Amino acid sequence: MRPFKYVRASDAAAAARAVAANPRAKFLGGGTNILDLMKEDVERPNELVDVTRLKLSEIKAASGGVSIGALAKNSDTANHPLIRRNYPLLTQAIVAGASGQLRNMATNGGNLLQRTRCQYFYDTAMPCNKREPGTGCGALEGLNRIHAIFGWSDKCVATYPGDMANALYALDAVVRVRGASGRERAIPVGEFHRLPGDTPQQDSNLAHGELITAIDLPKSNFAKNSYYLKVRDRASYAFALVSVAAALELERGRVKQARVVLGSVAHKPWRSLEAEAALVGGPASEESFRRAAEAALAGAKPLAHNGYKVELGKRAVVRALMRASRLA
Amino acid sequence: MLTEIVGKPVPRKEGRSKVTGAARYVDDLRMPGMLYGATVRSPVARGRIRSVTFGEGVPWDEFVVVTAKDIPGENAVALILLDQPYLASEFVNHAEEPILLLAHADKQLLERARRAVHVDIEPLPAVFTLADSLARTQTIWGEDNIFKSYLVDKGNVDEVWAQADLVVEGEYSTGAQEQLYIETNGVIAVANAEEGVTVWGSMQCPYYVHKALLKLFALPPERVRVVQCETGGGFGGKEEYPSMIGGHAALLSWKAGGRPVKIIYDRAEDMVATTKRHPSLTRHRTAVSRDGRLLGMEIEFVVDGGAYATLSAVVLSRGTIHAAGPYNCPNVRIRSRAVATNVPPHGAFRGFGAPQSIFALERQMDKVAAAVGLSPAEFRRRNFIRQGETTATGQVIREPVDMAGLLDRAFELTDYQAKRERFARENAAVGAGGVKRGIGFASFMHGAGFTGSGEDYLKSIVGAEADASGRVRILAASTEIGQGTNTIFAQIASDALGLNYDLVEMAQPDTGNVPDSGPTVASRTCMIVGRLVESAALGLRQTLQGAGLLADEYTEGDWREACRQYVERYGALKSFSQYKPPPGVRWDDEKYEGDAYGAFAWAVYVAEVSVDTLTYETRVDDFVAVQEVGKVVHPILAAGQIEGGVAQAIGFTLYENVVWQDGRMVNNGMTNYVMPTSVDLPPIRVHFEEQPYEYGPAGGAKGIGELPMDGGAPAILNAIEQATGVSFTHVPLMPEALMRGLSETT
Repeated sequence: MRPFKYVRASDAAAAARAVAANPRAKFLGGGTNILDLMKEDVERPNELVDVTRLKLSEIKAASGGVSIGALAKNSDTANHPLIRRNYPLLTQAIVAGASGQLRNMATNGGNLLQRTRCQYFYDTAMPCNKREPGTGCGALEGLNRIHAIFGWSDKCVATYPGDMANALYALDAVVRVRGASGRERAIPVGEFHRLPGDTPQQDSNLAHGELITAIDLPKSNFAKNSYYLKVRDRASYAFALVSVAAALELERGRVKQARVVLGSVAHKPWRSLEAEAALVGGPASEESFRRAAEAALAGAKPLAHNGYKVELGKRAVVRALMRASRLA
Repeated sequence: MLTEIVGKPVPRKEGRSKVTGAARYVDDLRMPGMLYGATVRSPVARGRIRSVTFGEGVPWDEFVVVTAKDIPGENAVALILLDQPYLASEFVNHAEEPILLLAHADKQLLERARRAVHVDIEPLPAVFTLADSLARTQTIWGEDNIFKSYLVDKGNVDEVWAQADLVVEGEYSTGAQEQLYIETNGVIAVANAEEGVTVWGSMQCPYYVHKALLKLFALPPERVRVVQCETGGGFGGKEEYPSMIGGHAALLSWKAGGRPVKIIYDRAEDMVATTKRHPSLTRHRTAVSRDGRLLGMEIEFVVDGGAYATLSAVVLSRGTIHAAGPYNCPNVRIRSRAVATNVPPHGAFRGFGAPQSIFALERQMDKVAAAVGLSPAEFRRRNFIRQGETTATGQVIREPVDMAGLLDRAFELTDYQAKRERFARENAAVGAGGVKRGIGFASFMHGAGFTGSGEDYLKSIVGAEADASGRVRILAASTEIGQGTNTIFAQIASDALGLNYDLVEMAQPDTGNVPDSGPTVASRTCMIVGRLVESAALGLRQTLQGAGLLADEYTEGDWREACRQYVERYGALKSFSQYKPPPGVRWDDEKYEGDAYGAFAWAVYVAEVSVDTLTYETRVDDFVAVQEVGKVVHPILAAGQIEGGVAQAIGFTLYENVVWQDGRMVNNGMTNYVMPTSVDLPPIRVHFEEQPYEYGPAGGAKGIGELPMDGGAPAILNAIEQATGVSFTHVPLMPEALMRGLSETT
């Protein structure tokens, strides 16, 4: 591991200023991702600003919904009574990720910012535009079984690997951030991550030095009919091949409102407005779900080794909707 | 005399030091002035080396650099043949082949330097598959790409086809598999012209490394010393490879004037560069009568050996001999070949060829059963081998064997019959996209010890010594690699002498101090070496009794006193025992006929699966392993061997897929080479039957290390066939393949 400077921030403003002042500085939360990346020589910050002592870990009711502190642990979030009762989709998504040990350490802010699991990103002997812009993309010609089928560019085919953000997107969450100048802004979670385009080194739309302070969930009508499905190569220690956050508001057997967000298929959580449009107004039935699934995957552009994701994605959408509507 | 220790779950000898962190693995060792070594490898699969250039920005004068020219002896890893170089000098024959070595005290600088060496290679056309190698699209090894071939010929197969009521054909294949020991390959070497060569490392076979270093440095045996450190798993992956990495570290140290050099592979390098299980292709043609009697079996078995011969000849041998299984069939012909491809050499891995050929056989047996209209169980019952009958090599089974009894026991433990019927009923009612279930089994045997005359050639030796306090030390090169060698040897010796278990200890495997008890492979450590431990220990007692210091009946106090007096009067008390074949064993290497193994373990494994036909996820829900292994020396360690082997077999069957691109493993990490975790595994229920083997130690133990790798894959695929109605013929069976297979039929 390369030497780096360690700073413990006393308040959010100081933390944001410290990182903003040094282009090679990074925030340190639970450390479950960045420390690994530093050990592998993938991330090379020369300064870590430890934010774990900041008072940002509260989970509380707020304006009809819930506000979740950026530093609340994944485990505490998943198990919080307000979340379990009103946002079971979020609980399911968090619990589907990582392992118990990691969830006990990982923070919600850090979870949003976790980096891709593309093996070429991790292998410093291989080219990677995300790790070292301009060097090329190892995955494009290499083994791309776990990579994107939507929204990729010829610079990067990596996926956002997380689970929590997919559920947050389906629940219309908003990420609150604070910049070095003290300016706060709210970013809808669907606009938080971005597609790779020509600058895959940038995972999100955060400016350097902006600190996530909270994630706000509005009041939700999805608590009764939601389901998070994660399909993976093994039952633990595996990221999704495809995941689906499905949320429905049903009225007399018909779909009044719907959310379908796919995970691990693009550089960001992938919401399918096409699938949602196909669902709304229709019956909660397998046939209708199949049409929605076809619509969700219609625009997919698979790579050499991940063609299976298209069929698997459709099937996962159907199952998630069936489970959400309690038909299966 | 004490009560028996064999058969009791005594604490592991090295258990305490491992759980407290006191155990020293090679990477825990640091020596003054130590350098780190790194390997520059070929980026292409086959080609001619044009030039090696050293990039800018690296202080090259600070580095120790070794090329093939620096090798004092022969540039070949001594194993069976001498075809594999330590460092390629003109041609490379596989990706990641070592070309040049570097050493420096600064690890980070070393890595930068490794990447700054540019090897320019003119690529040559390469061969990557078994089929291309057999078709000789290129000749890449010898005259015909064939490392070794065998022919087993029993009865007259050519005459059975005409008489048979049915002839059933099948083709089966298996992929490569990485051993994934928890500790990667690693060594430290000190080598110079004055002191000779010493290598410490993680390994299974110190004397293999010793033999290889003699050739590499052209030194006499007493100038080379190899010491095994605590070793975090091997599974065969540390049978031959330590000779390579040990040689590399020693070459660097030699060039550096004897400064210690440590080489530890990281996971990515270990996975991409070291050996894996041989991929295989098997074709079966089986003749049966209408009432389900096996009349003839013709089997073609081919394994992919990779770029150099390494151990392929012996892997092929074991796979060949096990290819016809525990069945009584009068006419059997097995033709087998190990062929060359331009991938890193495949090597030893638990089961050693047998899991590959047994997978094919046990899939084929289900297919034949269906063809004759019998259940898989009934068909096998009609053909199981019995005492007095002969195997494919004509070996007469002299021991009592009861395969049908094992089958009954396995079925009873799993409620097989009821489940088979219930799943059939329930599956018919499961709609599209539902979860279907199945239960299947495999019956098989696994020979313990070296094949044929192998043990006779090895002539293994074990020593025992006692000091003046009466403490006994076993001197053997057999290594503890997590499987329990230290513990079972101490149990065997303490029972032989009637002494407390704590009074017996194991010497560290160090070629400077212990005799060559042979390699720690081939399920031979307990059965073959354990027997030598027993007789070496008994030799101590005989010596004391011969000197008139010990009566026939004695207490531990008497023993201590006798040892004290003996050492005082005569000096060191030592005893050695050398392998002698059991009486009546005969083996013909030319005809590949006769007694292939001293003893077989016999087994029936049952797997229960559920297949999600929507997501194509398969889960093994339950697994029962019933086996007859002779006397069980340590019930917990023995069950641990079975559980671990079954877990590895489940990985081989459903999870572990080596992906090759231009002859290079491209998923060489633990996130993309997916092995099952404990969460993915079913309960593994282990049941032993004990039929003592006359020439085994401790009242009749046989070997068990490899056995549990053999039955998992066919049992699981047989169960998947019940669940899905589709007969899959390749492992690993990945979800993508399941998707293709199921969509073709629906």
